[in-house]
Amino acid sequence: MRKPWIMAVALPLALTACGGSAPPGTEGTGQGGGGGGAGETITIGSLHPLSGAAAADGQQMDNGAQLAVDAINEAGGIESLGGAQLELASADTQGAPEVGQSEAQRLIQEGAVALVGTYQSAVSQNVAAVAERNSVPFVIDVSSADQILQQGYRFTFRLQPSAAVLGQRGAQYLAEVSENAGQPAQRVAVLHEQGPFGTAITASFTEEAQSAGMEVGPVISYDPASVSDFTTQITTIREAGADVLMVAGYYRDGVLVANAVDTVQPGLDAVWGVANGAFDTPQFPGEVGEAGEGFFDANYRLDTTNPETQALAELYQQTYGDEIRTAAVLSYDAVRVIADALERAGDASPQAVRDAIAETELESLIAQEGPISFDENGENANAAPILMQVLEGAVRQVYPEEYAETEPVYPATPGL
Amino acid sequence: MSAAVDTAQEPQAVPEPAWGRHLVAVGVLAVVLAFLPLVLPPAQQSVAVRVLVFAILALGWNIMSGFGGMFSFGHAAYFGLGAYVSVWLLVEQGISPWIGMLAGMAVAAAFAVLIGFLALRYRLKGAYFALSTFAFAEMLRLYATNSDLVNRAVGYNVPLRSESSLAYMQFEPGAASYFWIALALTVLALVTTIVFLRSRTGRFTVAVRDDEDAAAALGIPVMRTKLVTIALSAAITSVAGTFYVQYYFFVDPDVAFGSSVSIQAILPAVIGGVATIWGPVVGAAILGPLNDVTATLLRNPPAGLEFLQGRAGLDVMVYAVLLILIVLVLPQGVYGSLRERFQRR
Repeated sequence: MRKPWIMAVALPLALTACGGSAPPGTEGTGQGGGGGGAGETITIGSLHPLSGAAAADGQQMDNGAQLAVDAINEAGGIESLGGAQLELASADTQGAPEVGQSEAQRLIQEGAVALVGTYQSAVSQNVAAVAERNSVPFVIDVSSADQILQQGYRFTFRLQPSAAVLGQRGAQYLAEVSENAGQPAQRVAVLHEQGPFGTAITASFTEEAQSAGMEVGPVISYDPASVSDFTTQITTIREAGADVLMVAGYYRDGVLVANAVDTVQPGLDAVWGVANGAFDTPQFPGEVGEAGEGFFDANYRLDTTNPETQALAELYQQTYGDEIRTAAVLSYDAVRVIADALERAGDASPQAVRDAIAETELESLIAQEGPISFDENGENANAAPILMQVLEGAVRQVYPEEYAETEPVYPATPGL
Repeated sequence: MSAAVDTAQEPQAVPEPAWGRHLVAVGVLAVVLAFLPLVLPPAQQSVAVRVLVFAILALGWNIMSGFGGMFSFGHAAYFGLGAYVSVWLLVEQGISPWIGMLAGMAVAAAFAVLIGFLALRYRLKGAYFALSTFAFAEMLRLYATNSDLVNRAVGYNVPLRSESSLAYMQFEPGAASYFWIALALTVLALVTTIVFLRSRTGRFTVAVRDDEDAAAALGIPVMRTKLVTIALSAAITSVAGTFYVQYYFFVDPDVAFGSSVSIQAILPAVIGGVATIWGPVVGAAILGPLNDVTATLLRNPPAGLEFLQGRAGLDVMVYAVLLILIVLVLPQGVYGSLRERFQRR
C-alpha cells in the first residue's frame, strides 16, 4: 500500500458512520396510545433476545411488555403525571452479554426511565451493572442466577423467584407431597445441566432435601448443548436405587430425559423437575406422549385461577396467534410494576421511579404467595414456584392447594 | 507482506514494507481517534470500544495464524485466560487489573507454548492443528465450568467501586477513559505487530510459514520460532480478555472460552485481510458497528423498507452475505485487496 494514511482517515470515518442512532421516540410495534392524555411520553426500555437460540421466548416477553404498555395507555396513562402515555423501546440483546450492555446504554441515553429484561442470566448481570452505574431502575422479569442481586445493587429488582427459592421450594414440595401420599421420598438422585442455572438450583434443592431427611445422590451434571442421550445416566440412577429423580434443565434435554426414563424403566416414584424448561410446557406431553405422563415440575407459573391472567392469555392469543408463556406474563408484570411506581411517585425521574419500585405492593398475574413487593436486595419477597404435573397429556397445577386445579398423583411411576 | 518499495531506502533483494510509514499511520490514527469520544454519543462510544476489543483480539490471532500460518480455531483459550486470571486476582486477592493484565499475558503465553509444543511435537498440520486448538479452548471452558477454583459456571462479577479509579481500571459509565485505554492497547498491539515483523524472529516466522523445509535447511530454528510466535499471539489476545471483563463487569466460562470468541478473533482478520498489518483493525471497524447499524435500520427503516420494522436478526443475515461477498469478491480481505490495487507492479 502506498499510503497507510488512508487508513488513518478512513477508520474514524467508518467509526463515526455508525453514529446515526435512532432518534428517541421511535414507535414500537403497538398501535400507540388511546388515552389521549395531555402529559408527555415516558419511555420504558425492553431488552430481550429477539434473535438467536432463545428468540421464541424473547419475542414472547417483548410482546408481553408491549401489551402491558398498551393496556396502561388504554386506561388513561399515568394519571398522577397528567395522563402521560407510556412507550416501549424494544432492543434485541441477541442473548449476548456485550450486546445487552451496549443496547441498555443506548436505551438509557435515549431517555428510558426504567428497563425490563432480559431472560439470560449472563445478560442480566451486565444490564444490572449498566443500570446501577447510570442510576436507572432495572426490573428483571426472567433470570434466575442468585448472584445478580448479591452485588449490593440498589437499582435492580427481580420478579421471578431466585434459584435459591426455586430449589428450596422444589425440595419442600417433594417432602410434603410424598409425605401426604404416605410414601415419603428417601433417596433423591439429581440430574442437572452444568451451567449456573442448573448448578444453583441443585445446591439449594440439596440443602433443603437433606434438612428434610432425604438422602441426595448420585448427582450427575451434563452439558445441555451437546447431550444426545441419557440412557447411561438413568441406568446409573437405577443401580443406585433412588426413589425420585430431580431434573433441572432446559427443553430439549428434558425431552431426552423422558425418553431415557421410558427406555430404562428405573422404577422411580416420581420424576421431579425443578424450574425445568420442558416438563411444564404445553408442547411437552405432545412431544413425548406416554413417556412424560406423571412428570412433576416446580416452577413459576402464570396464575390460571386469576381472571385478569385469563383475559391476558386470551388477548395474547388474539393479538399474536400463540399461546402465552409464563415468561411473557412476567414481562407484563414488570411493566405494570414500573407504571405503578410512576403513578405513586408522580415524578418520571429514574431515581424517583427506583424509590417507588422499592415500596411496591402490587397484585401479581403470576401465582405467588402474596402481592409483588421487594426486599432490601431487590428480590420479589413473595415469589414462589408452584407444582405442576402432566396428567392425561396436559400440564395441570396440583400444589399448593390454593393454586391446585386437581390433586397430585403420587407415586407417579413414569411409563406404567 | 511486501508493500511499495520505498525509494529512499537502499535497494534490497526483497522489497521492504514501509515500516516507517506504517508507524506514522499508527501515530496519526491514534491522534485522530483520541478525539472520537468528544464527538460520539455515549451509546455509540460503547460500540467504538467493542470495535477496539475485537481489533485487539484479531490482531493477536493474526500474528499466529496470519503471519505464522498456524491456523488457530481456539483463541478463546487465551482471551479467556486473560479474562479469568485478571478477574480472579482482582476479586479473590484485590490486585489491580493492570497487574492482572500482565499476569494474564504470562499465563496465556505459557499455556499457548505448552499446547503449541504438544501440537507441533506430534506434527499436527492444517485442519488437525486447528482442531487441536479448538479442543484445548473447550477443555478450558469445561474446566472453568466445573472448577471450584474459579466459581464454576457462575463466573465472576467485577465489584463496583464508589468512585473512578485508574489503578483499578474503573470509571463512570460512558467515560472517555475506557475508550482511551482500549485505544492505547490497540495501538500497542499494532506497534508490537510491526516491531515483531521487522525483527529477526518475525522474518523467521514468515519464512517458516512460506516454506518450512527451506527455512529449516537454512538453519532457522523452526520449533522455537513457532513457539515464540504463538506466545506473542496469545499474550496480545489475552489483553483483550482482561479489558473485556473490566469494561463489561462480568465473565463466565461461556463468555470467556466459548467458541464464538474464537470466531470473533478470526472474522475481523478475514474480513480485513489475513496476514496484513491493518487487516484486523479494518475488519473490526466494519464488523463491530454492524449489528448496531442494522438494529438502527430495523427501528426506523428508510422509505420502501417499512416491512423490516420491528424484525430482528437482520444483522446475522447481513453478516452472512457480507462474509460470502468478501470471500468471493475480495479474497484477500478489504484492506488486503485494496492494498493490492494500489501497489505499483
